[in-house]
This record gives sequence, structure tokens and C-alpha cells, in this order.
Amino acid sequence: MTDMTLSSSAPSSTARADGYRFSVGETLKHAVLILGALVVLLPFYVMVSYSLKSPAEIMQNTGGFFGAQEAFRDEYCVKLGKDVADCMVTPVIYNYTTAFQKAPLLRYLLNGVIVTASIFFIQVLVALPCAYALAKLRFWGREAVFGLVLFCLLIPVHAIALPLYIMLAKLGLTNTYAALVIPWSISVFGIFLMRQFFMTVPDDLIDAARMDGMSEFSIIWNVMLPTAVPALLAFAIFSVVAHWNDYFWPRIVITGDRSLFTPPLGLREFKGDADGDNFGPMMATATIIVAPLIVAFLIAQRRFIEGITLSGMK
Amino acid sequence: MARTQAHWWFVGPALFLMVVILLMPIGIAGLLSFTEYSLGNPDAHWVGLDNYSKILTRSTYEKMFGATFRYVFVVVPLSVGLGLGAALLIHSTRRFSDLYKTIYFLPVMAALIAMAIVWEFALHPTIGIVNRTLEQGCGTFLETWGWYAEGCANGFPTWLTDRHYAIWTVAFIGVWQGFGFNMVLYLAGLTSVPRELYHAAEMDGARSAWDRFRLVTWPMLGPTTVFVVTISFIRSFQVFDTVEAFYPQGGGPSKSVYVMMFAIYEKAIQQNLMGIGAAITVVFLAFVMLLTVIQRWLVERRVHYA
Repeated sequence: MTDMTLSSSAPSSTARADGYRFSVGETLKHAVLILGALVVLLPFYVMVSYSLKSPAEIMQNTGGFFGAQEAFRDEYCVKLGKDVADCMVTPVIYNYTTAFQKAPLLRYLLNGVIVTASIFFIQVLVALPCAYALAKLRFWGREAVFGLVLFCLLIPVHAIALPLYIMLAKLGLTNTYAALVIPWSISVFGIFLMRQFFMTVPDDLIDAARMDGMSEFSIIWNVMLPTAVPALLAFAIFSVVAHWNDYFWPRIVITGDRSLFTPPLGLREFKGDADGDNFGPMMATATIIVAPLIVAFLIAQRRFIEGITLSGMK
Repeated sequence: MARTQAHWWFVGPALFLMVVILLMPIGIAGLLSFTEYSLGNPDAHWVGLDNYSKILTRSTYEKMFGATFRYVFVVVPLSVGLGLGAALLIHSTRRFSDLYKTIYFLPVMAALIAMAIVWEFALHPTIGIVNRTLEQGCGTFLETWGWYAEGCANGFPTWLTDRHYAIWTVAFIGVWQGFGFNMVLYLAGLTSVPRELYHAAEMDGARSAWDRFRLVTWPMLGPTTVFVVTISFIRSFQVFDTVEAFYPQGGGPSKSVYVMMFAIYEKAIQQNLMGIGAAITVVFLAFVMLLTVIQRWLVERRVHYA
């Protein structure tokens, strides 16, 4: 495999490969890549397809990708004593409306936005000034603080969930937004990243700002922040993706109070009481929860890949 | 140069949060691991090393380490290997390379809990798409493969509920989810390999593609590999979403998927046994920190070629 893998990355054989319209190596490569792509896409296919189909089509595995979209009888609606004719529903509409009706999905999505946005906002508020001080100010203890940042990079927050949970419980903060946000308020990675970035900003720029009589505080927000927008954007993607998708931490601190559920918790709850009829709506819920980031990713791929792999810059 | 004391206003909040949110919990976990604390109890009963000796002797925890290490030692090599393989293939082909990259990266973006639920559905023993597809192959040449014939005759594995398959199936989903991330890091690494090195290697007699890979690509990817391996270790040690989604109680068939993060969750949060949960936390932290220290040591020691 390696043999054909590299044959065209080496200059001499690239020239040779160009001469052929059809090359066995190239075809094999694509065969392997397509096979991999099929496996990768399989669950996405299942998810979207089932979110479009009727329960019967899901059970019997008929209807292709889109399903026949024939109206079927909503048994629950019949049970409520309504006329059977009124209870005929189109699968795709049934699945997506049920997703929103059966659980307060809009509320979950809103919670997800509130939590991810607050986390990012607070992270920047805390990390940016610290990064600036570490990069551009000289003061006693700076090396020690930076050493501490490097040490804290070793600690995965999920791993210390238990003591954090106890601390929050002692403060009576479980089942609040605060519990969802506080543990993530400090991003040592953000500090590290921003510091590295600020190191590259010329001192002259800051000196000039000081000459103009700007305070250190306004230097951070009016001079440093605008220069750091690309790094900040990458960090935003990193942070939002991690916390929108996070399941472990919300699972621990939010117990029972549905009005505080984030999207992953809502979906999990849905799964808990799903029966045969509800697989369609459940897949619709999954699609709705996964869609925002996937769509954003497809639109701004380069930025996303940069942001997610930021941790690779260390 | 500091004209004011402004720096303490800048560093202060971060410093405070670092100490309270990241350092203090480690101390608390360390202390609690010597007790039988549970939430709601006014005082914690000191039990010395009891919790640790439980972890080392009881069969439940033996299963926990078994499941965790099985998972980690499948997911890390496979997701790194497939990540590298995919990166090399994509890097060497000119057509559709962006499309492949996008597709392989999709699982990284999708909420794992959602995809876990979908996978559970796809792997359903009777109505799941995986077993249904496998059944289609019955009666063809595939039956010459013993395992396949067995599946056709007596039914294919139930995957997630079969104790011989459960941990490997969960690990497969871990690989599925993680290798795209590694691929992207390797692709970044590949673009930074100077082309002249390939010319030079060729002049020195590196004829085959394997030689070029062995002598140029692989060594130049050294720093990337160290990073990719470490981050894969840390991520796979922390597996939780899939396990909790598939097995909300008990950690799978015969506890075969009872991974550490789930054990911490079960003992401490579900059963309010904070002492033992804290002890597992300490062991867990020790693993993760050891790995990162090894990584940093490697980075400083031997992988600087460029």
C-alpha cells in the first residue's frame, strides 16, 4: 500500500503518472479512499435517511434513502380519540414536528447556544489579558505563572470532574447554568495559544499606543484584540465545537431539570424513552443537533480544520 | 518596564481560576481517595489506602483496567495508522483530495453521543443496516470465510450486546470517530516536508517508494507522530459518551466495556461513593500526566530533525 501511496508524491514518478490517463495505482488509491468514505458516511446516511422515513419503512428497511413519503396513521393521535382521517401524517413532517413536540428541543438548542457562547466569552475575557501580560509585560513571577500554565495544560478537565462536581454541589450550584459554564471558564490552552500569538506582535506597536497615552487595559482590547482576530477565530471554533458536543460534563451536573438540558442531554433523554414508533423522530432530533456544526464546517472548512487541530500547534 | 501594577489585574483572574478549578480539585481528589466520603455525610471516614487496594484487587476493577486498556490499545494504533494511511493517500492524489478530507473529518465534528445512538441503531442485531447488509452476502463466495459462513448459519453477532464483541465494537466506533482528526494533523505535517529532501534521498539511492517513506517521510513526521499518538492516548483514555449511551447501567455485557471514565461516573455520581471514585480519578490522572510528560520528553529529546 505504501508503495503506491508514495509513488506520485515523489517528483520523478509524478511525471510518469501524468503521462497515463489511467493508472492502476491511482485507481486502487481511489478504491481504498472511497471504501473508507462509505464506512465513514454510513451512520450519517442512516441518521438522515431514518429521519425521513415512516416507522414501517424503518422496520422493514424499505423505501430507499428518502422513503416513499406515503402518509401513515399516527397511532398516538388515534389514541387521543381524533378522527383517523385527521391522523394521517407524512413521515418527514411527522418525524421533525414530533422531534420538537415530544421534547422541548428548541429550549435545548437555546441552552446549547447560551452555554457555548458564555463559555467562549468568559474564556476570552480571562485568557486574553493574562496572555498579554505573559507575552508583553515584565513582572516578578511571570515565569512562574507561565510554568503553571504549562503544567495545567497537562490536566484534562473531564478527568477531575468528580472533585469539581463535589465543589459545585457544596456551593449548591448543581443544576444551574453556572455549573455548566464555571469549570470551562479557564482555558489554559487559550492562554497558551494567545500568548504565542502575542509574542509575534511587535513591541513598537504597544510602545506607540503607550505614547498615545492608552492605558494597558485599553491596549489589550483596542490594540491586541484586533490583531489577534485570526487566532481568536480558530480558538472560537475549537471551543464551540468542544462544548456544543460535550456530553460528559452536562450529564454529571444536570440531573433531571429538563429546562437546563443541552442538546446532547436532550437527545440522550429521548433515546431513553424511545420505542418502535419514535426512531424516526429520534433520528430527526439527532440530525437537528448535529446539523449546525456540520453545516458550518462545510461552509468554512479550512477555518474549522485549523481551529480543531489548533492543539497541534503546540 | 511595568509602569503600573496592571499586570496583576490581568494575570490575577486567570491565576485564581487555575488554582481553584484545576489545581485544587487534584488535591481534593487526592485527599478524598483516602476516605469513604459521600455527599451529604458531614464527615469523611479516613480509610487509608483501602480504596487503592480495592482498585488493585477486586475483579470489578480488574475488568475496568482490562476494558480501558483493550479500548486504548485498539483505538490508538488503528486511529493513528488509519490517519497516517489516509493522509498519505490523500496527499498523493490530486483529484478529489479535498472531498475525501471533508468526509473523513465529518465524524470529528458530529456530537459523539448522537452518532453513538445512530451506530447502536445501525448495529441492531435484526433491523440494523450492518447485519442486514451482511445477510445479503450469504450464499456468495463470502461464505468460504469460516466466520461469515458461521454468521449466515447461526446469525451474525449481536455486536454491542455480545460480550465477545462489545468492547471491540465500541473501539471500532472510537476509531471511526477519531482517525479523521489524526489525518488532518498528518496532512499538515506532510505539506511541511521539504521537497528537496526527496530529491536528495533519490540521489543517495533511495529508489523505491518504501525507501522514500522510510528515509524521508516517516522521520520528518516524527514530531507529528509523537503529538498524534499522545493526543490519541489522552482522548481514548477519556472515552465515555459511547459507553454511557450503549450501557447506561453496569458497563456492558459482563462489564466488558467498563472503562475508567464510566467507572468514575458510576461510583461517584450514580452511587455516591466518592472515595473510590476519587481513587480511580487519581489513577486516571497519573496515567494521563505520565503520557504527556513522556511526550514532552520525546519532543525535546529526539524528534527534532528540521
